[in-house]
Amino acid sequence: MAVEIHAIPGARFMDPTVLARIGNLELVARAVVDGFINGLHKAPYFGASVDFAEHRGYVPGDDIRRMDWRLWARTDRYYIKEYEAESNMNFSVLLDVSKSMDYGSRGITKLDFARILAACLTNLVHHQRDRVGFVAFDHEVVEHVPPSAKHMETVLHVLERITPGRPGSLKEPLHRLAEHFGRRGVLVVISDFYEEPQSVVDALSPLRFRGNDLVVFHVLDPSELDFGFSDAQPFEDLESGEQMPVVPEAFREEYRSLVRAHIDALTQAFSAVRVDYAMLDTSKPLDFALFRYLNSRAKTMKIR
Amino acid sequence: MSFLAPLFFAALAGLAIPVLLHLTQREKKQIVRFPSLMFVRRIPYQSVRRRKIQNWLLLMVRMAALALIILAFTRPLLNSTGVPAGVANAREVVVLLDTSYSMGFGDRWARAQAAAREQIAGLTASDRGSVVLFGSGAEIQLRSTSERSRLQASVDAAAPGPSATRFAPALKVAGSILAESTLPKREVVIVSDFQRGGWRGEEGAKLPKGATLAAVPIQGPADKPNLTVTGVTFTRSFFSDQQRLVVTAGITNRTEQPAKGGTATLEVGGLTIATKPVAVEGGSSTSVVFDAFTVNGRNMRASVRLSDDALAFDNTFNFTVSPIEPVHITVLDRGSAASALYLTRVLSIGESPKFEAVFRQEDALSDEDLRRSAVVVLNDIDVGPPLARRLARYVEQGGGMFVATGSRARWPQDVDTLPATIGPPVDRTRGDAARVGALEYGHPVFEPFRAPRSGDFSAIPVYGYRNLTAVMGAQVLARFDAGTPAVLERRVGRGRVLLWGSTLDVSWSDLPTKPVFLPFIHQAVRHLAGYTEPEPWLTVGQVFNTSTVAARGTAAQRVVLTPSGRRLPLDDEGTDVLELTEQGFYEVRGDANQSDAIVAANVDPAEADLTPMDPREITAAATEGEGGTDSAQSGVPLTPEARERNQRLWWYFLVAGILLLGADTLLSNRMAKA
Repeated sequence: MAVEIHAIPGARFMDPTVLARIGNLELVARAVVDGFINGLHKAPYFGASVDFAEHRGYVPGDDIRRMDWRLWARTDRYYIKEYEAESNMNFSVLLDVSKSMDYGSRGITKLDFARILAACLTNLVHHQRDRVGFVAFDHEVVEHVPPSAKHMETVLHVLERITPGRPGSLKEPLHRLAEHFGRRGVLVVISDFYEEPQSVVDALSPLRFRGNDLVVFHVLDPSELDFGFSDAQPFEDLESGEQMPVVPEAFREEYRSLVRAHIDALTQAFSAVRVDYAMLDTSKPLDFALFRYLNSRAKTMKIR
Repeated sequence: MSFLAPLFFAALAGLAIPVLLHLTQREKKQIVRFPSLMFVRRIPYQSVRRRKIQNWLLLMVRMAALALIILAFTRPLLNSTGVPAGVANAREVVVLLDTSYSMGFGDRWARAQAAAREQIAGLTASDRGSVVLFGSGAEIQLRSTSERSRLQASVDAAAPGPSATRFAPALKVAGSILAESTLPKREVVIVSDFQRGGWRGEEGAKLPKGATLAAVPIQGPADKPNLTVTGVTFTRSFFSDQQRLVVTAGITNRTEQPAKGGTATLEVGGLTIATKPVAVEGGSSTSVVFDAFTVNGRNMRASVRLSDDALAFDNTFNFTVSPIEPVHITVLDRGSAASALYLTRVLSIGESPKFEAVFRQEDALSDEDLRRSAVVVLNDIDVGPPLARRLARYVEQGGGMFVATGSRARWPQDVDTLPATIGPPVDRTRGDAARVGALEYGHPVFEPFRAPRSGDFSAIPVYGYRNLTAVMGAQVLARFDAGTPAVLERRVGRGRVLLWGSTLDVSWSDLPTKPVFLPFIHQAVRHLAGYTEPEPWLTVGQVFNTSTVAARGTAAQRVVLTPSGRRLPLDDEGTDVLELTEQGFYEVRGDANQSDAIVAANVDPAEADLTPMDPREITAAATEGEGGTDSAQSGVPLTPEARERNQRLWWYFLVAGILLLGADTLLSNRMAKA
């Protein structure tokens, strides 16, 4: 079933800066997700459900209760009926809360943007009766809310109170988390990915090992993209505290090309491992991210 | 263009300051916190590239302001003279022509005129010249003109006068002319015989900076003898009520040549009294004694004339001769010989002036006595009111009165003439006698005692005196040791009154027996009589105070006749002081054209000394060694105005620099607000 993407009334004009001022994540998420209907999202997996998917040949060990006796009567062969596995999916947001996320040049920080995004996605998924979970990490796991159909409030609460403060690293916490996500589901990773593309992919790949579907949001501030500073000033790395004098006019072009190259490399690396990757500019409205997510889900459905 | 202080260019290094400030200022801003420097770190870091000027306009304004101010400090100097080429060499020439009488020696005057004319002929059309004639003073004949013919004429018209040489006034006048000139070259030319006596050191005579001084010495060997009458002395004798006078003339030969065959003639009142031969060796002096003659009138004109020689001015010596006028004194006395003894003796002594004293008792004083007397002495008498009033009138009309107060002295209260009220006697016979002290040495009466060991009043014991109380307007000239006034003076009308607190005999003090008594009484009488020593002659250049001449008419009617016959009126607004500029006799005439006084004026005999000096001495002193002598300065000496004009650039640079700084302030404020 094809997923039709319609503009959410009003959501296109929901500037993240405005949303950030609302403060109540639940309200924000509801406002953004309002208008989405149940069933937009289908689980990519087969399981016990009412929606028939296909027949497949019986193999020893299959539950004989799922045998299609009518078809046996007509063809004298044993077929098993497969149904769409709806809901009951595990959905977790893995949010990078390292210090570098606490940056914003246009009234909203990357973390706030990510918070709203996570809340929206969680809310969206919760509407579909899926189980929602949440993980916050920097160089280790900071918060962990296991996926559950009842954890929507908890996730929003944790999202609200997390504060960035420490340097981050992907490999260590994500490898550890990969072991916990035993049941297949959807994992959304939101980070600014200030690491080499290959090490980012290496850090994220284990999450897919158990069949999890991985969506990666690369959140960047416009200043990080265009480096629109004018005066020569010393710059300080938010995470390491390192300082260095910078003349933006001289650096700008080179910086932009480096960032572009980084994003391109990530896009390429993730597509190679079939991970859905999207770069989000915090100055752009949130619906862009949501459409991107749903779009990717639709594609997944088609591919299958 | 050149610079007076090029070392200030070193300060241009300071221009780096705004550049550095512009480069470094921005980096001191707030630190930018950035998520990650991962990519920034990969960009090659070049320290030079990261420094970039942000505000070129501000930087330029600041650097320009600094540069302009530094330029101003280097004092840029325009080398151009600032005057048109034709005027660049224009000269202001002041010709100082010596007209002292020594210039009449031999042919010096003719040579001096020729030299002056030559200087004037050397003036070009753009030059200007002045002619100043000088002797003891300086007189501008023609001031700063380019008309050479007039300059020449003024030189032609000049002639040596009777004055002596003095260079300093002439240089001051020349300096004032040059100071007002705007021409670039300024010169002073002195045409003189440069006598040693004319220069007494610097005397503050300085020419303006840049002026040159050229000396044209008119000298030559004094190969002809020159005799000078340096002065005369008188010897008076009295013969049967007539005064006879012997004149002795001092004659000097200042040249090296012996003077022989000359004569000296004494003339009195236009009549030749005697002629004597004169022979003086070179560089020596002699005196000539003329025969005695009778002085039979006041202010007789007399002259000693030498026969002609190389210098004519100093051959005549003028003087006046008058019989000595005695000072008439009336002494009012009670008639006892003892009380007047010392006074009689004291007043009988004296030749210049001679005192003629008459002694009267108080009731025997006649109006004729008062009319004849210059001074009345009251020697311890009781003065009744009528006599007091007569005496008061006498004093007011110009008479002098000396009052000695002993035990009898009394003066009516209602006649306000004495300088003090006469109080009761003070007896100092017991204990220490009183002494006289606190003398007013500045007063003419005590002036002779001013010098040490010239008479000691404090050594005189006074055993009794009257307690005097000074009245308003009286001056206390001496006090007793108790502080009581001892001698007082008061001017009353045109006359004077002197009051002595004790007696003029030995009854109350030892004063009459002491050496100071005679000079004290003589000085007091001279002072009260207004006596001054007659001066038989004055020197040209000195001043004569006409107010000292006894007037016989109103000031408006009095005139002075000069030796050349000019009449100088002495009106109320005219000065009393007359400068003697001519050699000969000046005559002060009063009412009815009668002669009041005659003053003889002679040339300064020192001027006859022709010993020359080195003109460079004057040049060095007057030009501060800058100008050189007659060699013109290389290049064009600029006037102070032209100099200032050429250096004025610094001012413009400074103003421009300050304006730029102001603009910088406005600019940076505006940019900061933006």
